[in-house]
Amino acid sequence: MATKINDKELLQLIKDRLNEDAHSQKVIEQLNNELKEINSKLEASESMKSHFISHIANELVNPFASVLGLSKAILAVDRENWKKVISMVALIHTEVFNLDFQFKNIFMAAKLEAGEESPTPVNVDMHKLIESVIESYKIECKKKKISIKHAFAGEYNFKTDPDKMKLVISNLMSNAIKFSFDEGVVEVVAQHEHKQLSIAVRDYGIGLSEKNRETIFDRFNRVDSGINSNNRGHGLGLSVNKAIVDMLSGTMTVESELGQGSCFTITVPELDVPEFGYSPNADETFFDMDENAEIF
Amino acid sequence: MDNLVITHYLFPAELFAEAQPHVVSTVLGSCVAVCLYDTQLKIGGINHYMLPLWNGTGLASPKYGNIAINKLIERMEKLGSNKANLVAKVFGGGNVLSSSNNTFSIGKRNAQLALDMLAEHKIPIIAQSLGGDHGRQILFNTHTNEVRQKYV
Repeated sequence: MATKINDKELLQLIKDRLNEDAHSQKVIEQLNNELKEINSKLEASESMKSHFISHIANELVNPFASVLGLSKAILAVDRENWKKVISMVALIHTEVFNLDFQFKNIFMAAKLEAGEESPTPVNVDMHKLIESVIESYKIECKKKKISIKHAFAGEYNFKTDPDKMKLVISNLMSNAIKFSFDEGVVEVVAQHEHKQLSIAVRDYGIGLSEKNRETIFDRFNRVDSGINSNNRGHGLGLSVNKAIVDMLSGTMTVESELGQGSCFTITVPELDVPEFGYSPNADETFFDMDENAEIF
Repeated sequence: MDNLVITHYLFPAELFAEAQPHVVSTVLGSCVAVCLYDTQLKIGGINHYMLPLWNGTGLASPKYGNIAINKLIERMEKLGSNKANLVAKVFGGGNVLSSSNNTFSIGKRNAQLALDMLAEHKIPIIAQSLGGDHGRQILFNTHTNEVRQKYV
């Protein structure tokens, strides 16, 4: 039996349908656009990856070339000319220091992407660890006449993965120094309370535009700063940091204003590996859980 | 028998697959762990991913399901497994986040991704415990393929 429907109602129905269609069309279009965007992002990231070696070739080849040249020059220096030797050794140190830092990031990124990294919790004197990172950037700072202020509130002892924390802080320090103006100040403020450690690294350098703030965690992304275009780097530091902080179940936030500088803050909880009851001998039940355990 | 069973605690975004027998433990909330087991070689591997899809931001790490599952299969193949001999057990994807996050239903999407991707790879799922409102603690014996699960 056909439903009776007058023309007016029919028209309204058709209109509604058309509206609905138009709406879903719009949604589909929107989703499509989003997909396209993600797709192009993925493609760009993958092509960056495949060109990674050629991208960073200069970063790796140049330091080696200068180390080779400098060491040759040192061999040729007169015995009496110590000052010259020392200045050249300082240059070698800078090059090798940067290289070492870059390698650490590259290998960490590779291991994180392969899922082969896991944190090893150790009781660490975080104050000492932060100081040692600052100390390692002393020469870098001297060159740009940057002074570093640091403060630590709370208990120094903290259970975490020291190597990973060191790399995370180094990445923040390296960026802060790189993007500071000459004679600037970099502040490192750490706070340990309620089993949470937060470390903020602030610089008063070039800062980030809103657009750059969104992409800084992308791998291989290098901020094109314009005024500081001779900045080196492989664009891995912050994405490595993000992945490490994720692994430590922490967070990393950034506040930044173009021309005002940036402040990166990481917060990580004390690292705890849950202990599971298990028998180390395979001849017993290999683990011992209560009756609530289901077996699959 | 005094051979030791080595234990390993699996962190989020980590992969584990080794030839020697291990007991791998992990804790899952909205995360999902896929245990793969080679019925011929009697070896197993497991991942623990937090989000379903990598969107091109940050490192392409096994934090993301689409990467974690493919990489785990790769790792098993590297250990000599034939994909046809693999079976899977899938755990996690609980709805443990506060209700404000319900709209994203990360757990559900994580779980669905595992089902979809394993079907695509034609790897049979022989056991699963997905969804619900609780977190899970699991122990996976990579030699016997036994998984013990407890809600936490």
